[in-house]
Amino acid sequence: MALSLSQSIVVGLADFWSRKVRSLITIFGIILGIMSIIVVLALVNGVKEMSMEWMMQSGGLSKINIRGNWEYEDRKADKSLSLKQVNYIKDVCPEAVAFNPQSNIWAKLSYGSKKEQQLIVGAYPDYQIAETWTTQQGRFITDTDIRNKSNVIVLGTTIKKSLFGNEDAIGKLVGMNGKKYQVVGVMKYRYMKNRWASEGQSDNAMEWKNKNSFIPLSTMLIKEKADDRIWDFSVTASSPETSVELKEKISNIILNFKRGKPLMRVTSNYEESNQSDDNFKMMTMIFFLVAAISLLVGGIVIMNIMLATIQERTREIGVRLSVGARRFDIFLQFLIQTVIITTIGGILGVVFGLSILELVGKFLQMKAVASEQMVLTAILVSVGIGLIFGIFPAVRASNLDPVEALRYE
Amino acid sequence: MDIIKTISLTKDYNMGKVTVNALKGLDFSIKKGEFVAIMGPSGSGKSTLMHILGCLDTPTNGEYHLDDTQVSKFKKRELAAIRNDKIGFIFQTFNLLPHLNVLKNVELPLMYAGLSARKRKKIALEVLDSVGLGDRTKHKPGELSGGQRQRVAIARAIVNNPAIILADEPTGNLDSQSGGDILEIFNTLHSQGHTVVMVTHDRLVAEKADRIITIKDGLIENGTLT
Repeated sequence: MALSLSQSIVVGLADFWSRKVRSLITIFGIILGIMSIIVVLALVNGVKEMSMEWMMQSGGLSKINIRGNWEYEDRKADKSLSLKQVNYIKDVCPEAVAFNPQSNIWAKLSYGSKKEQQLIVGAYPDYQIAETWTTQQGRFITDTDIRNKSNVIVLGTTIKKSLFGNEDAIGKLVGMNGKKYQVVGVMKYRYMKNRWASEGQSDNAMEWKNKNSFIPLSTMLIKEKADDRIWDFSVTASSPETSVELKEKISNIILNFKRGKPLMRVTSNYEESNQSDDNFKMMTMIFFLVAAISLLVGGIVIMNIMLATIQERTREIGVRLSVGARRFDIFLQFLIQTVIITTIGGILGVVFGLSILELVGKFLQMKAVASEQMVLTAILVSVGIGLIFGIFPAVRASNLDPVEALRYE
Repeated sequence: MDIIKTISLTKDYNMGKVTVNALKGLDFSIKKGEFVAIMGPSGSGKSTLMHILGCLDTPTNGEYHLDDTQVSKFKKRELAAIRNDKIGFIFQTFNLLPHLNVLKNVELPLMYAGLSARKRKKIALEVLDSVGLGDRTKHKPGELSGGQRQRVAIARAIVNNPAIILADEPTGNLDSQSGGDILEIFNTLHSQGHTVVMVTHDRLVAEKADRIITIKDGLIENGTLT
């Protein structure tokens, strides 16, 4: 002798439909609350994804960066490492996966009548591992190139295009600072969407990398610069987790080199991304608090309207009791009705939220990423609000005395 | 066989400091298949009696046996089951649910009895046919006349095939023509073997019944008169 759950839902839906306008007004607060949750979550997601994308573009989470500490007060102090020191680090850190010291110059590359002033990077073969970037054609710099201080060069796609056009560049000679370099490879095209690009600007945030060219580090240091200073150095650990320990180790070695002065900064991508994760958690928490308060208000409004509805339907409750409805049937009827209202509100909130995501993203120039989990969470939250704020009105309805209820005018 | 039997039935209402004795000890019985009218002026306690007979309320003292079951000490939950199973209510103001159509209104007791949608519809349509409303099933109560509404209410009351049909001033809100029709239906139900108990203050209406029980000041005046 009971109303089944599915029947209660049917009754609840019918009630919702027979009072369309009131139902819609009632759920307005929930719609707005869920909508804002969806938008905020998607934006937080988007920022997270973007920073992760950036992190991956700059060598991934296992990378440790070693650079001069330009905040150190002594401006004249040596904020570079010698190649010898770099090689020492390499010798004492066999657990690392890649060593990527670099030495760069700006130089004019020429081929035939074409000339192009761009950044030339002196690199080790490990550059490919450290930057997770390989050649699309030919090969990268090899250990043999390093040993022989060969005059070989690997071109970025943009520089290849401006010097050679569609012509095959492999094996050709390009001029640089009065010397000839043989092209042995062309790097893959690098791309990352630049969301802040203005009109006429490249939308590729990685375009500058496509303009780089690479020669052996030994060739760079001996033939082009005649010194052995390394200003830019990165080490790649075997995993993000082990990178923290390795970072400490390298940091101590360098501190020893510099007689205890913090002339170099050693940072790990993993720790930096954790740091920004913490910032996101904080931001997300604050947004959740705001959304929770708005949902709380929405819930209270719904509770209020349900209480008014029950008052208005006292006689109906009396009739239902007189034809055999149990108190639990009445309780379930009104609880489910509240849940239906909030769930419909939640679904509408999700739909509206998702449909304005792109607009909001464009307006704020941010990436907004929706996920299934997010949608599920939003709907569960709206069901939960219905359950929480529906209980009190439902208990009230089910406690009505049948005689009193039937007499109610 | 007695379908209703009361022994020293009392009902007191606590109104703050004053206690009102609405029923002061009623002893009577109604046989299965009888058509009985309960008469009395307003304030006589007939509504209170009606609520107790209909298991909407419980007596303060005394016993109430319905269909050989002592229901006077039943809990609310058990009373709901009894109402659904054994009692069909008909009210003066019809008490139909305005936002449900005629069919759904009649199906209501069957729904709480746990019948499937198909069965409910089948039974409700049959009963609506029997009260002459087979062509009004999709109408809302607001679209019907008073007499038609009361016939819907009768259909709802008998759809569960209850042991007793309790009618509270069933003709009170109707013109004499419609009221006559309703009483005619009661006669038919009675002739089909239903037990009908009708509360009224109208002697002309009460005289349609087999027997009249008159109540005054919470006591039976002539419980045995026929």
